[in-house]
Amino acid sequence: MLADSVFLTSLVSVLSDAAAAHGGEAHAGGHGGHHGVDADAKGLFAGDSILSYFTNSVLVGLIVVGLILWFVRGAMKKVEMVPGRKQNFLELVVEFLYKQVENIVGPKIAPQAFPLLATIFIFVTVANWFGLLPGVGSIFVLRVGPDGHGQAPLLRPATADMNMTIGIALISLVVWFVITIRELGFGGFIHHTFGPKGGLKGALKYGLMPIFIVVGVIEVISIIFRPMTLSLRLYGNVFAGENLLHTMATLVQTGNAAVDFICSVLLRIPFFLLEILVGVLQGMVFALLNAVFIKLSTTHDEEHGEEAHH
Amino acid sequence: MLEILHKLGINTPDIIAQMLVFGIVYLILSKYAFGPVTALLEERRRRIAEGEDNLKKIRDNLAAAEATAEEVKAKANAEADRMIKEARDTAAAAGESERQKVAAEANAIITKAREGSELERARILGELKRDFSRLVLDATARATGKVLTPEDHARLNTEALSQITNN
Repeated sequence: MLADSVFLTSLVSVLSDAAAAHGGEAHAGGHGGHHGVDADAKGLFAGDSILSYFTNSVLVGLIVVGLILWFVRGAMKKVEMVPGRKQNFLELVVEFLYKQVENIVGPKIAPQAFPLLATIFIFVTVANWFGLLPGVGSIFVLRVGPDGHGQAPLLRPATADMNMTIGIALISLVVWFVITIRELGFGGFIHHTFGPKGGLKGALKYGLMPIFIVVGVIEVISIIFRPMTLSLRLYGNVFAGENLLHTMATLVQTGNAAVDFICSVLLRIPFFLLEILVGVLQGMVFALLNAVFIKLSTTHDEEHGEEAHH
Repeated sequence: MLEILHKLGINTPDIIAQMLVFGIVYLILSKYAFGPVTALLEERRRRIAEGEDNLKKIRDNLAAAEATAEEVKAKANAEADRMIKEARDTAAAAGESERQKVAAEANAIITKAREGSELERARILGELKRDFSRLVLDATARATGKVLTPEDHARLNTEALSQITNN
């Protein structure tokens, strides 16, 4: 049954972006031709089976997970008080990230929030950088199914797929909710969201109650939209970067293969450097925003009051 | 809306698949990386703090020991000074006594030597007088060719001795 619906995908070609730039072939997806980068990730298996949801970005996601876990396993294989190079690097990253998280969410919440925020930063950064490697978006596979055939890039940056960014944002939302409820309790969360703020008392407190309830409703709406805003920001940046690199690769088309190749390489170098920076920045922004959300929702009203007095 | 979702390739199975991918790395890193590393960093921080505390204690102890040593040294110096002064005084007193003793002994020896010398001189002088008298008597007897009487002996002795005494 699997064989009926899923057809073996075969690697048909390894094409560099430069070759694609002057080759002019219109691929079904990826960096081919002049169509730019497709907005969606492509399934590597044709047909209607569950494997058709195994997209090129899922594959890259798994590779990235594998790389991270491989490194971590190497670093944690023989944990010692006097660390080796890998363990030292991992400790450096963990210590740096923990301090940043602690500075934002505070020492009490940091142990709960740190694993999520550090994972977001590390995974998003590595996934973004992985997308810059040669071969990502330029190695194509042939998809053959009952509805015809076409080519799709074998690898697509995981964070250039909305499903991935939504997935990360949803997990962040769940963890955020768990940490908030653990810290405030459900009643405390409702009170924190809809209750009066700023230490108001007496008539003023009750007079302004309707406003705080409306503010609470707006807050809930913003919480609901949070996964969308987070995921769109990350997706937009990475996808735009992919398009930018593709555009730079295909900008010069003189008809002379050598000149086109050299131009496609040279023009992309500064943008590669930019994308390296964007890659780490986006990882930081995603983690930072989640840290701020956790901080805002777990801060007790008394603390707010005290801060307001200060 | 659906068209946008479709264009972006958003669908529930893919979201679940990606959540699984991220969830796996989140759970594994939480359990096998961040937990042990943060515990290790905490342990190291604790050890460093302990080491610093120990260092501070050692420094304090060292400072206290140095202060005690200084105190003991000062005390020992004072005691040594006192003992040296005492020894000097004692030595000076003993030296003076010895000197006086030696001077007295020397004086006694000198006096004794003088007395000995006087006696010896007297003895030698007596012997000399006797020898001289005998020589004078012998010489006189030989020169005159007569037997000298005791009166002559007495007179010649007196003259000869007065000559010796005068000389």
